[in-house]
Amino acid sequence: MDIPLEALKNLIATLEESGVHEFEYEDEKSRLRLSFGAPAAPAYVAPAPALAQGPSGQPAAAVAEQDDASIAYVTSPFVGTFYRSPSPEAEPFTDVGQTVRPGQTLCIVEAMKLMNEIESEFSGTVLEVLVPNGTSVEFGQKLFKIKKS
Amino acid sequence: MFKKILIANRGEIAIRIIRACRELGIEAVAVHSEADAGALHVRFADQAVCIGPAPAAQSYLNIPALISAAEVTAADAIHPGYGFLSENPHFAQVVEKCGLAFIGPSSEVMRLWGDKLRAREAAAKYGLPLLPGSDALQDADHAVEEAKRVGFPVMIKARGGGGGRGMRMVREESEVRRAFESATAEASAAFRNPELYLERFLEKPRHVEFQALADSHGQVWTLGERECSLQRRNQKLVEEAPSPAMTDELRSSLGEAIRRALRETGYVGLGTLEFLMDTDGSLYFMEMNTRVQVEHPVTEMVTGVDLVVEQIRAAAGEKIDLPDTRPWRFRGHAIECRIMAEDPETFAPWPGAITEYHPPGGAGVRVDSGVFGGWKVPSAYDSLLAKVIVHAPTREQALARMQRALDEYIIGGIRTNIPLQKQLLADWEVKAGKMTTRTVERILAERRAARE
Repeated sequence: MDIPLEALKNLIATLEESGVHEFEYEDEKSRLRLSFGAPAAPAYVAPAPALAQGPSGQPAAAVAEQDDASIAYVTSPFVGTFYRSPSPEAEPFTDVGQTVRPGQTLCIVEAMKLMNEIESEFSGTVLEVLVPNGTSVEFGQKLFKIKKS
Repeated sequence: MFKKILIANRGEIAIRIIRACRELGIEAVAVHSEADAGALHVRFADQAVCIGPAPAAQSYLNIPALISAAEVTAADAIHPGYGFLSENPHFAQVVEKCGLAFIGPSSEVMRLWGDKLRAREAAAKYGLPLLPGSDALQDADHAVEEAKRVGFPVMIKARGGGGGRGMRMVREESEVRRAFESATAEASAAFRNPELYLERFLEKPRHVEFQALADSHGQVWTLGERECSLQRRNQKLVEEAPSPAMTDELRSSLGEAIRRALRETGYVGLGTLEFLMDTDGSLYFMEMNTRVQVEHPVTEMVTGVDLVVEQIRAAAGEKIDLPDTRPWRFRGHAIECRIMAEDPETFAPWPGAITEYHPPGGAGVRVDSGVFGGWKVPSAYDSLLAKVIVHAPTREQALARMQRALDEYIIGGIRTNIPLQKQLLADWEVKAGKMTTRTVERILAERRAARE
């Protein structure tokens, strides 16, 4: 690339400060495209941007959307402990690759000795289970990645 | 001693508590709403748990979420801070029942002092002076009768209330019924307890409060008083220690009665007893706050005691080791100004992004704050940004130091009440140490008149 590193660094700094999200430059010799994640993520782990805007307020799991509109996340509506099965010996409620329907129980989040069943809001397929069984989850934490159908 | 404390609060007081935990070698767990995900208290803590969306009712007031957060982080104690659930006996009881320590008095003792009538009764029993007043008012007729007996003007107050809400001032008999009815409605809505009582109303009182500390080994200290007369609509703006109106004689006699009252009622922890001082210097007990107060730093500066550290020690059952001096010997004078995110003229709250931030420093200046450059002040919570506290050898020097510190304070991007604070401290009544709870009102009225 012909652009000197210092100049590139300055360009990036200026663009970031100005709040620009995408920048593209093209000439006969080269093409430069810079894409800045929005909003700028701080150094520590924070909830996904979409979550910060609007909670669902419903007892069923809140869902946030990513760039791809067909991807949805099931998030925890409580602070508690995540369990994949109704009991230790039983089969998990669902797994990667399985289809889910609205109202179907996906997992349990246990809070203060109460087992809260978390239901899916959508029809779709489970792409990923994001939290290990038996771990603590916080409000808004992503539990399942679902491809909506 | 506790291994891990969950702080059921936010902002500057959460940071204050985290600092005390750090110095005691205790791990601190911060809880936060989604709006506070990037807050300073979250970044200061050892662990953080998101407990709900922005509205306080679903987050900082959400008891199941708080208990659950304590469980998943294996905290052994919960510190409620001030405001929120700090004086909620039900919360204290739930915490106790769940096998966690509540950093404050027991729910039973909190219930006693939180009920304004039972508190009046206890105060009278232990020799604290009271304003002439009534018991629970049965109905509007009873209210009229009692108002006449006590003598006008009277203040009708909510038994389950506090913080200046659910109160109605009545000057004559014809006003009593209407005031009784509207106060009942407000008390029902605000405190879910419609019960009222009444007290003689003082026209131009000073607000003087005493800081007490008790451990579970029968020891009680009174760490002197604070004056908090500069208030607007029952919200304190400036506090100082010691009070220019207090004498060692009053401190001794009141201190005696306060210590007895706390010991006999089994109080453990920090407590503040609020009094009103009449124009003749007489003090009357109003209510007791069973928590750490916003203005605790001024007492810390003049006594050298770390109140939050001692509060945690007391809750952990430790025998507190402080000298027994009656009355407490103060060192110098301290003043605190509350810096609020609001328009200094209209008092409209001013949430928004802080673009540039540089707090004051130098000799005798302390800033307790939860904000920083780049922080977006949320609209969901109270507008307290920071507390600036100064300490100096004399009151006059403290006033000059505060003016200097306020001049240095840079908070860009939002409006703050710094200009108002500067104006208050320059007022003749304040400089003379003669302020009352009507002073701010007068200054604002004069300001309005000057504009016209």
